[in-house]
Amino acid sequence: MENTTYLAADAKFPYCRGCGHALVVRQLSRALEGLALPPRSIVLTTDIGCVGLADSLFPYLHTVHTTHGRSTAMAIGMALAEAVLPASGLKPIVMIGDGGAMIGLLHLVHAAQLNVDITVLVHNNFLFGMTGGQHSAFTPLDWSTSTTPEGNRVPPLDLLALLRAAHACFLARQFATDGDLNAVIAEAIAYPGFSLVEILEICTGYGGLKDKSKGAALREVAESQGYSIGRTEAERPRPTFVQLYRSEIESKAVPLLTKEGSQPHGREESRPATLQHAVSANSRSEIHDSKPLHIVIAGTAGERVQSSAALLCRAALSAGLYATQKNDNPVTQGSGFSLSEVCLSAKPIEYTGLESADAVIAVSQDGWNELKANGTLAALAPGTLLIIDSEIEIDSPTGRLFRQPFRRDATPKRAALAAIGCWLGNEPAVPDAAWDSVLDSLSSERRADVSEALRIGSNFARQGGTRAA
Amino acid sequence: MVAEGALAAGCHFFAGYPITPASEIYEVMMRELPGWGGLALSAPDEISSLCYCVGASLRGLKAMTATSGPGWALMIETVQYALMSETPVVIALVQRLGPSTGGATQGAQGDIFLAKFCTSGGYTIPVFAPSNAAECYELTRQAFNWSERLRTPVVLLSDKEVGMTTETIDEAALAKPANVERTWGHAGASVAAYDVERVEDVPCFGPAGGEVKVTVTGSAHDRQGRLRKPSPEVVELLAHLQRKIEAHAADMAMVRADLDPDASCLLVSYGITARAARQAVGMLRKQGFPISFLQIQTLFPVPTEALHRAAAGIRTVFVAEENLTGQYRSVLAPLLNGRRLLGINKIGSMISPTEIVLAIRRAGGTIPRGDWPGEHPPEADIHEPPRPRKAGV
Repeated sequence: MENTTYLAADAKFPYCRGCGHALVVRQLSRALEGLALPPRSIVLTTDIGCVGLADSLFPYLHTVHTTHGRSTAMAIGMALAEAVLPASGLKPIVMIGDGGAMIGLLHLVHAAQLNVDITVLVHNNFLFGMTGGQHSAFTPLDWSTSTTPEGNRVPPLDLLALLRAAHACFLARQFATDGDLNAVIAEAIAYPGFSLVEILEICTGYGGLKDKSKGAALREVAESQGYSIGRTEAERPRPTFVQLYRSEIESKAVPLLTKEGSQPHGREESRPATLQHAVSANSRSEIHDSKPLHIVIAGTAGERVQSSAALLCRAALSAGLYATQKNDNPVTQGSGFSLSEVCLSAKPIEYTGLESADAVIAVSQDGWNELKANGTLAALAPGTLLIIDSEIEIDSPTGRLFRQPFRRDATPKRAALAAIGCWLGNEPAVPDAAWDSVLDSLSSERRADVSEALRIGSNFARQGGTRAA
Repeated sequence: MVAEGALAAGCHFFAGYPITPASEIYEVMMRELPGWGGLALSAPDEISSLCYCVGASLRGLKAMTATSGPGWALMIETVQYALMSETPVVIALVQRLGPSTGGATQGAQGDIFLAKFCTSGGYTIPVFAPSNAAECYELTRQAFNWSERLRTPVVLLSDKEVGMTTETIDEAALAKPANVERTWGHAGASVAAYDVERVEDVPCFGPAGGEVKVTVTGSAHDRQGRLRKPSPEVVELLAHLQRKIEAHAADMAMVRADLDPDASCLLVSYGITARAARQAVGMLRKQGFPISFLQIQTLFPVPTEALHRAAAGIRTVFVAEENLTGQYRSVLAPLLNGRRLLGINKIGSMISPTEIVLAIRRAGGTIPRGDWPGEHPPEADIHEPPRPRKAGV
């Protein structure tokens, strides 16, 4: 019995007399009977409103009663899960009103774009029925409703035209009273991809409340808005998002779930993928028994400030140190300053902030200006080492000043690394040997680049150039 | 490391929307999840992100999304749906400075209330707060485990400074809690979506699309999942949503306690501020002041036993957190009757160890037990303006 019956035999419809929702429910049941789909292969996803009462009428289907407008989004999630699960052919059918379509419009647009295998039945009675006949985005011009007592002045949304622009492949519009509505619904459900049927109805409770003649003439309403009935022009058929995704990961021989709730093997044992820079210590830093070192490196966006700081951290790891790196940049990422705060320590680092830097590196005017603006320079202790590019205009910093033409000699993109090399020449926190594993992990081109920058920097360090500011 | 924790926990579905400072989780999941046989995709907004996750979870997949305050605000509707419909899902909420758009690149701990009290009715959603990269990994796995076990949304509450700071991890020392799966109903079971024997039990899960008919709803419902007006059965099922969490509160409680039996003062903190607090405790002890420290990892349900243990014999409790109004302090207040409770609060940048030390010393919190002066300053809040920083979007 369960395999052939969809609508409860003794179903008591909760709808007002004459409401189109009852017709749609019966036509949906007829459509499912015609398709002879197993009830458990359907998940009826209902929205908020009178339309959302339908799930109780289908006792053999899976039902998910959602929040307002989100029925489509949850159905999308259920359909997308098919990309990962063993193919089940589960078909989400969404029952939603025009109010739900309005508040959840973006979900309909994305469902069409993704071409997920769901069928949406929009019960468009041109207003909110359950809450008292308020107008919606679908209310025709001049209609009187409880919230447009003088007539609606906002032109209604043409949902099918909108979804056509979102690349929907199956779109249709019917009257709830159409005798062949079941055939159109069946065609939509059988369609392998996103399908939507906009079903026009009149809310018997509130439709055209103050002007019965307009409310009753459903066909006139459709005509006045230029709505065509039947299948409308849509995109040519194309694969669903799930089909595309499955074929992509299957081509890479990724193990998929073999049954619901199962996990692929090996996950626990595998090394975390983001630990790309895992190293084991191969040398020992000289700061092992001293306090953590805080270094601020400032320059210009796009000149490898933050990636140079990351290389320093990786070298520090090789030296058996702990490292943290915090980056900062303006709102847009490709212009203005770029800044990294690095902390190196022999012990695990708790507070990652900067109370006072132990060394400041500035390789461009942008960087220097930011160090002034963000308070780093003001917080420096007397005698702090400042490694500053010669081109930067500076005014009365405190500390030991070290000025060299990093940008000119090493190029702007290598200036940060050269300055780091120069700092390490002054403060041997990370031994040269620690850089070996970092260099080994780089491409040959980048390796040469990094080596050259560090060499230039360490030469500057040997030349000296420190002076008290 | 949140993404790594999710992968290790068996997460198979991720839907995301870009937002600083949570975008890195989104990017790593987009890059890595397909290789694990999972699906990661971009949603057109945060409402969709969480709805897609809920939909996937209804089919049995472990699902997660990641966002920050502005996105979380949009998700709250669906968090409530997941709570009511008993759908497991994990939300990584990487806090930034609010309100509204606030400061995208500034950390904050201002979403405690927003996470805890986001449901109509004030139901408890488990909230875990990692303070570093290693804890991000461990607590994400715990978040999945409790989400599955209790069929509830769980929030992993970090912040920009935890989420966007690159730091060293001792891979060998990572805590790797065993994965927990939701309890699945058996084929042939009766149609009973929310049937529980005792009010604190967790109903068996049946997937949408499985052999057993599933009835899911976000409306007040009976044991069969049918929409009903409040009856004793409906009310009992509403209470069940809270009781099932409370019944497991002790098991969910995770703290890192560093107690000193001679201390009269307890410092409580969580998330990023717990790191500065731990450093401050070391500084105070070096200065000769006994002090106990409690880092709370399970913010909700509040780990009351651990708190009472830490507060035994304590006269002053400080709560350090990066928000203006002492959100978690006000949660703890009713549990600390008879003790002086003071906040160490600041917004705009991280609270530093020195600031915590000064606040505690200024308030006389480190005076040894039995040697109290008659009067104390009323509060220990930091009032200095934060260091100037460039604002983000």
